[in-house]
Amino acid sequence: MSAEKIEKYWKATGQADRPKGAASPDEFPALIEKFDSPQSRRGFLRIAGFTFAGAVVAGCSRAPVEKAIPYLVKPEEITPGVAYYYASTCGGCSAGCGILVKNRDGRPVKLEGNKAHPISRGGLCAIGQASILGLYDSQRYKGPQIGGSDASWDQTDSQIVGELEKIRTSGGAVRLLSGTITSPTALATIDKFLGRFSDARHVVYDPLSVSAILDSHLRTHGIRTLPRYQFEKADVIVSFDADFLGTWISPVEFSKAYRNGRNLEADRSKFSYHAQFESRMSLTGSKADKRYCVPPGEIGAIMTQLFFAVSGLAGRSEGIADAQSSVSRETIDRIAGRLWRSRGNSLVACGAHDVRVQIICNAINELLGNYGNTVDIENPSNQFQGNDSELAKLTGEIKSGSVDALLIYDVNPVAELPGGEELAKAVADIPLTVSFSSRPDETALIVRYICPDHHFLESWSDSEPVVGTFGLTQPVIHPIFKTRPFIESLSKWSGSNKASHDLIRDRWREEIFPRNNEFRTFETFWDRAVHDGFVDFKASRSIQHKFDFAEVEPVVKADYGSGALALVLYPKVGMADGRHAYNPWLQELPDPITKITWDNYACISPSLGEKLGLEQGDLVNIQSGDGLASMDLPVVIQPGQDANTIAAALGYGRIQSERFKDIGPKWFQKRSGVGDNSRVGENMTPFLKFRDGNLRYSLHDIVIAKTGKKRALASTQNHHDIRVSENILLKGHEPHPIIQEIALSDLHHGSHAPGQHHREDLWPPDHQYTGHKWGMTLDLEACTGCSACLVSCQVENNIPVVGKDEVARGREMHWIRIDRYYISDGDEVEVAFQPMMCQQCDNAPCETVCPVLATIHSEEGLNQQVYNRCVGTRYCANNCPYKVRRFNWFDYPHEDKLQNLVLNPDVTVRSRGIMEKCTFCVQRIQSAKIDARNRGNVINDGDFATACEQACPADAITFGDLNDPQSRISRLAAGARAYRVLDELNVKPAVTYLKIVRNDENEKS
Amino acid sequence: MRKVDAISIYPPPLIGGHKTPRDVTADIAAPIGRRPSALWWTGFAFSFALMCVGIAAETYQIKTGIGTWGLNKTIGWAFDITNFVFWIGIGHAGTLISAILFLLNQKWRTSVNRSAEAMTIFAVICAGIFPVIHMGRPWLAFWMLPYPNTRGSLWVNFRSPLVWDFFAIATYFTISLTFWYVGLLPDLATIRDRSRPGLKKRIVGFLSLGWNGSYKTWLRYETVYLLLAGLATPLVVSVHTIVSWDFATSIVPGWHTTIFPPYFVAGAIFSGMAMVLTLIIVARKAMNLEDYITKRHIGAMAKIIIFTSGMVGLAYATEFFIAMYSGNQYEQYVFFNRAAGPLSWAYWTMVACNVAVPQLLWFRKVRDNLALVFAISILINVGMWFERFVIIVTSLSRDYLPSSWASYSPTIIEIATFAGTFGLFFTLFLLFCRFLPVIAISEVKGVLGIGRKRGVS
Repeated sequence: MSAEKIEKYWKATGQADRPKGAASPDEFPALIEKFDSPQSRRGFLRIAGFTFAGAVVAGCSRAPVEKAIPYLVKPEEITPGVAYYYASTCGGCSAGCGILVKNRDGRPVKLEGNKAHPISRGGLCAIGQASILGLYDSQRYKGPQIGGSDASWDQTDSQIVGELEKIRTSGGAVRLLSGTITSPTALATIDKFLGRFSDARHVVYDPLSVSAILDSHLRTHGIRTLPRYQFEKADVIVSFDADFLGTWISPVEFSKAYRNGRNLEADRSKFSYHAQFESRMSLTGSKADKRYCVPPGEIGAIMTQLFFAVSGLAGRSEGIADAQSSVSRETIDRIAGRLWRSRGNSLVACGAHDVRVQIICNAINELLGNYGNTVDIENPSNQFQGNDSELAKLTGEIKSGSVDALLIYDVNPVAELPGGEELAKAVADIPLTVSFSSRPDETALIVRYICPDHHFLESWSDSEPVVGTFGLTQPVIHPIFKTRPFIESLSKWSGSNKASHDLIRDRWREEIFPRNNEFRTFETFWDRAVHDGFVDFKASRSIQHKFDFAEVEPVVKADYGSGALALVLYPKVGMADGRHAYNPWLQELPDPITKITWDNYACISPSLGEKLGLEQGDLVNIQSGDGLASMDLPVVIQPGQDANTIAAALGYGRIQSERFKDIGPKWFQKRSGVGDNSRVGENMTPFLKFRDGNLRYSLHDIVIAKTGKKRALASTQNHHDIRVSENILLKGHEPHPIIQEIALSDLHHGSHAPGQHHREDLWPPDHQYTGHKWGMTLDLEACTGCSACLVSCQVENNIPVVGKDEVARGREMHWIRIDRYYISDGDEVEVAFQPMMCQQCDNAPCETVCPVLATIHSEEGLNQQVYNRCVGTRYCANNCPYKVRRFNWFDYPHEDKLQNLVLNPDVTVRSRGIMEKCTFCVQRIQSAKIDARNRGNVINDGDFATACEQACPADAITFGDLNDPQSRISRLAAGARAYRVLDELNVKPAVTYLKIVRNDENEKS
Repeated sequence: MRKVDAISIYPPPLIGGHKTPRDVTADIAAPIGRRPSALWWTGFAFSFALMCVGIAAETYQIKTGIGTWGLNKTIGWAFDITNFVFWIGIGHAGTLISAILFLLNQKWRTSVNRSAEAMTIFAVICAGIFPVIHMGRPWLAFWMLPYPNTRGSLWVNFRSPLVWDFFAIATYFTISLTFWYVGLLPDLATIRDRSRPGLKKRIVGFLSLGWNGSYKTWLRYETVYLLLAGLATPLVVSVHTIVSWDFATSIVPGWHTTIFPPYFVAGAIFSGMAMVLTLIIVARKAMNLEDYITKRHIGAMAKIIIFTSGMVGLAYATEFFIAMYSGNQYEQYVFFNRAAGPLSWAYWTMVACNVAVPQLLWFRKVRDNLALVFAISILINVGMWFERFVIIVTSLSRDYLPSSWASYSPTIIEIATFAGTFGLFFTLFLLFCRFLPVIAISEVKGVLGIGRKRGVS
């Protein structure tokens, strides 16, 4: 490492305050003493002997020499082997969640949610957790490229500047196409850059557009804005196709808020009611108290019905007509009544990509008085700013050849927009095309100049995801490749030579620092902001809004004939818009509902499957009504889906996924990790349509045809009804449900069975647990199935990715899984999620059967797996009633040296032939114990969290000491909702589940 | 003559053809001196090739990983342990015939005990392969031994049935081998005496431990043989009991059941007898031993098969009754799933082969029709293999949490490994036929009836 590099690196991180967890400098006093005093003859001989023996041993080794160079001058606050945390902002999407980056020995190894952050409040979603792998992606661009070949930055800059100059003098059109940019500095830099041209525009679009919401507010409120939805404050939530817990706008923020509105442990009286109207089974729908399955084309009509009903209650009579939909009048009236009684504290959210429908949603919220409380447009969200009509205009310009320079940042229009191929041809004709993409994607491959941006963990950046809340992103590692921040590139081409760090500081000094009244000097303000990772200015503006009811245009009936098939294109929890298609963790993340990995597919309802004679895995051809788009997809039978709707995920079929052809262990019967198109899944964007100025994600008159072929899907869980075993029960025998629920009224009136049964034991307990007794509670009511815990665990515990073939063979390695069960009562299908990991049983069945004592019980209740003792008989896994043990069937590849940098040095990378499983993050327990001992203290409740608990945006997971009667977990485990899975086996699991709470369908008041 | 036989109160003689002791020695020792026939060479080449296929498959598996098998996160054992229990079961008939029938003074055993014991040893060798190769890290298999080590007080887990299993099989193999070898001593001496001077004579002479045929030698020999028979008798029961504990002590529904020890022992004798029948029906034909292995021998074994088939049939029925009677939903589901689940074809194959088909042996005409008996014995072996498969795989595939339910199908590596054990088994058996007397010469001479009026029964 050159001196220059070291200097640059510490310039970045050194500005943080003393990081959390810094150890004292005299960490190993005894050892230092021993080697500091070699004066004695014996000491000398001992050391000499050791050196000689060491030399002999070293001489025998034929391993390549690897040099570990110690610091010449050790930075004061760094102790090798001790983790440091730096506050930053997640760059996985534009939601802007706060993170703490865990650094070990100069490299980030884990992203954790920042509990203090006003938006994410400690949660971090699966995509955020996985985005760290993007840093260590060896297929990133290693430097700028011109026309597909490597170039230097000087060369690239001079050529681009030359071309821009030509365009400037000729008055040519310059267009910057980007995704939502919440960074004030970046926006200012863009303005400055584009300001130099006579015809320049910045066009923003989001691959998962919510443009219709912004457009509707332009028409009803006069400002194009995205309100900030405050689910926390809502007592009644009615959502129309808005998957706000899964993928809509800011899922972590919303999950946290939603959970806070239903947290019985925090406030017994507050438990929001949630109704969901949707056509496919979404994560949000699976959590709703009442879910209505409706065709996608009916959303507008149902909302109109609701609008009329609420209008009636509000005493507005003008313009009330009748709308027709499959939802009964009584249902609408009941929901309207609920909303009306909670007016001001209710929330209607709509995910439709139709301005007309969104205006109706605005009108309902306006009538209910929700603006200003649950729907905040005073401090609105900047998280999505895309403008579909601007985008449509730009694509028109590109196709007509009137654009002279196109700069593309953070989006991949060729893959994300309909007519991508056509667009690609037109883009190729533009004289100057620049992409800032970090890695090759469909768009980057057709542009002339590649000016790769840093990964967000390498760069300085800022953000304003919500008006008044500023986030800072600080670099935590020296840039791995010769990349350059986007704003530095733009600034350079505008004639400035400033580094991104200076650009941001300047901006903050001028614009943001003056708004604070806490700090006198900018330096202290800045240090504080870097330390915290954000600055929050509360209620910075207040606007008087007036609502224009004249814009409301009722939708009186569904916009298509009944019986026609509809196609809904949706984002999956792990893949979203597909920008992380390079990420194997996300590709292998089972979809929370279908449990399928490594693919997208056409979800159809069981009735449609029956009608067409389709089974899971049958390949069908889906064609749009106009015949323009056609795609072959495997079928997934999805209970709870509208009968005439087909749902398929976006974000697949990306060029970045071509790398997964050979993923996983290599052996002669291994099957390819990609499909026939040599990619993972199929890209469904050709089915997207521009209509009335918006991108539509659902379309009608779909033609579906059997192809007679099959495509194997890699699912981690097969379809099984939870009550399957009840069919064969003898009368009078009580079933032992795995998922348990309790009615809200029962919980309030205390008319419930005691949570835990006390069992008499024949034998004295094997273990005494005099110190700690670690345990966990999992709140099934809170768990949304979002799978953030799963990826968090994967990163923390070095869990390998095994690839599609191995998942299909039932050998995924995830230590925590989220079991999904369907509960069907007649036509209605409910979904229950159950996170399942090692239950750390007191009477562990795995422990008795291991012949070599490789799995043993610790004094603190942990069921420990001793990797180096394990011979791999798999008896423990067979005998585990929860089936949480994972076997290393192969040596999973670790050839990518760069990618290996993400491995957690505290956790062993397991070799072939041994068993592994959840350890309750024993490395975190140990490090907390060491910390406490160094402080001369004991571990307090909440001092540390396991990786899954830390990530959970819904606070469903609580870890702690069961021996501490004051701990959160002790109280939860003794509560009325507590139960244990398979309690009747008397294995005494240390994990307690909290029952799902059934909201009362009939309101009290 | 015929008429007399039919009404005779005595059973037909054990050894046909009015053999003299000289004839016996000549008949049985003859193949050892001769050049092997083309038939032998064909069989040997085929078996050896099959064994090599198995060795290749195992080598690949040990080099690459258990992932080359069809196992998954839910089903941790399938072909491996099925084959293990199958072969151990086969190995049961040998001890039964040599020890228990010896103590019960069943003279008919003399014609079949040698080959049955050899079969036992070879089957245990085949079985022993699986516990080793099924490990994720088979090179550490010695960790199953409670040997003094430098890892502190690191010992094996004496609570684990796998450790008991290890001891049980090691003991069984040792005793079976010793018993077989002791029984061979007089015959080895016979071969020594018949051999021309040379290497063979020296080797056989060494192995016969200086047998001189004296009264004293015979006395000691018979004492030792009786004692060993006494020692081996409990093993007939213990080995498969302990193997069954691998399952019975677990908490997997379908495994966790107290009926397993007798059920497994009965099943083992059942399958072992079937395998002995398969082998000797071929051997008597191929080696012209029809006079030594008569229909009476085969009939006796067929009767044991009927008896043990009834036992396993009863066990199958009892399992179902107890599951229903228990009120335990998991137990009930497992048996429901066995009979009607995705692997029900394996269950019904097992019932058909193990319970229905052996009932044919009630008919004397069937017992006397060696081709039919041979076919039945093969079917029983198929059925008994499926019994272990059903117990292991269907129980594991659907246990407590439906979210983890899975299915299983073997890979080509697993099939090749299983085939390879047959290759090994027949290779060893053919070598045995070639180099050692397949029938206990000295014992058969004892039942010729010399010095008595008739052949003893």
